[in-house]
Amino acid sequence: MLSLLQRFSPRIPATQVRCYARKAESGMDPKREIVRRSLYPNNRRNGPSPTGTWRPDVARAIQHAIPSVQAHNTIERAWLLHRRHVRKRREAELARKFDCMKGAMDELAKIDGHLYYEANRTENPRARSAVEQQMIRSLKSSEARAFDARIRGLVPRELHIPTDTPSRTGWNYDYKPFARPI
Amino acid sequence: MSSRTLLSLCRPAIHSSRRFMATEATQLSSSSTFEPVRSSVQPRKGKKPILNTAIILNRSPLITRTPTTFERAYYAYQARLRRALSNPFPYEFYFKQGSILETRFEMEEQKRERRAFGPTFGKPKEDDDKEKAAANRAAALQLAEQEGEFEEMMPRSHSSDEAKDYKSLDRRGKRNLYLLLKDANDFWRFPQGGIQKGELLHQAAQRDMYDECGKHMDAWIVSRNPIGHYRPPVTLSPEGTPLPEQVTFFFKAHILQGQCRPSENMKDFAWLTKQEIESYVDKHYWDGIKDVLSDN
Repeated sequence: MLSLLQRFSPRIPATQVRCYARKAESGMDPKREIVRRSLYPNNRRNGPSPTGTWRPDVARAIQHAIPSVQAHNTIERAWLLHRRHVRKRREAELARKFDCMKGAMDELAKIDGHLYYEANRTENPRARSAVEQQMIRSLKSSEARAFDARIRGLVPRELHIPTDTPSRTGWNYDYKPFARPI
Repeated sequence: MSSRTLLSLCRPAIHSSRRFMATEATQLSSSSTFEPVRSSVQPRKGKKPILNTAIILNRSPLITRTPTTFERAYYAYQARLRRALSNPFPYEFYFKQGSILETRFEMEEQKRERRAFGPTFGKPKEDDDKEKAAANRAAALQLAEQEGEFEEMMPRSHSSDEAKDYKSLDRRGKRNLYLLLKDANDFWRFPQGGIQKGELLHQAAQRDMYDECGKHMDAWIVSRNPIGHYRPPVTLSPEGTPLPEQVTFFFKAHILQGQCRPSENMKDFAWLTKQEIESYVDKHYWDGIKDVLSDN
């Protein structure tokens, strides 16, 4: 950050500027001229941006953006600390939930071995169970497709992803029951 | 969760049921899921507790959480830095010289510059033709209105929040809501029921949920694994002998559409956040379920 401030301080002349200005050739297509000027601007410097240039008032802009080197470092450290707090809280919650799950499975193992085995078994998500096979014969083709679409172990697409503002229609309270054997 | 912490958590369990955990010990280090093992353990001496299943029906958050003041300030600071260091925008490449779209973009960009750096930045360029520039700016504003840029967004808090309607599924959009039922004894609890013969736990959980909450809900049960368990305190029968023990296993489900229509046995239902649940249920139940629910 200190080097950036020094580099763009107004008193240092732009000695790293290379001029690639060409005389405008007569009869050159204006579109090609525009593309050439966009890719290779006149005031190219060895900056990290794709065309190797900065904005014309970059020194003044940085002076306004960064209060000081110490302030910038303090902001960075505060941010990392904040992220650490959020992360630790999330990890603690996950650890508590995992311990609850583990406790439940251990209890089940002590109580009933068959139910414990069945709770742990992973089933083929693409296979239809016997009950589902029977059900699907009595459904219409569109209903059968909706029935097949929900796959065990995968999150259903109706699960709403949080947005910045809620939907205009709100929650759908009118849902027609559709039996899905588990 | 790393496999090392997983193994350290599992060590106490291995002592109690060594015979069928032995084959699991090696597999645990490779994957974090429980591997199925045929149990060769004899059933415990003494009465088996009565098994119940319950469903924790969750309505996930509908809107993102509000960023804190510090987060907003930090994002604005980083945006300012990026803007100061970034490549100048190639206007002539993206817009036709003197077009209305170019004027509109320039106006918006100058506003953004002033917001980022202060009033000394983002000054409009002095044009030779002032009338044409003014006409262009008016046309740009008209275009923005036509394209619906000043449309109102829905507010983030719903009317059911002010009305404190605990049955609404639109309330508290940022939080996780859980379904609580009030049974005939005036206890608030999660939807619960017993297991029938030949039924598995997660199948029983789904059946109990639809029996107590009605079928007019699109509920998705996440997995076969229970997420928690609860042992109510041992009660005495009228003769003074202890009643058989009960254990309730909780299963996680998400509600996607629809609403709960409680059966006749249930007096009331409510969709509550984790903090609100604490004031509704009794202390022993709360201690059993509080670690299963999400803080958010």
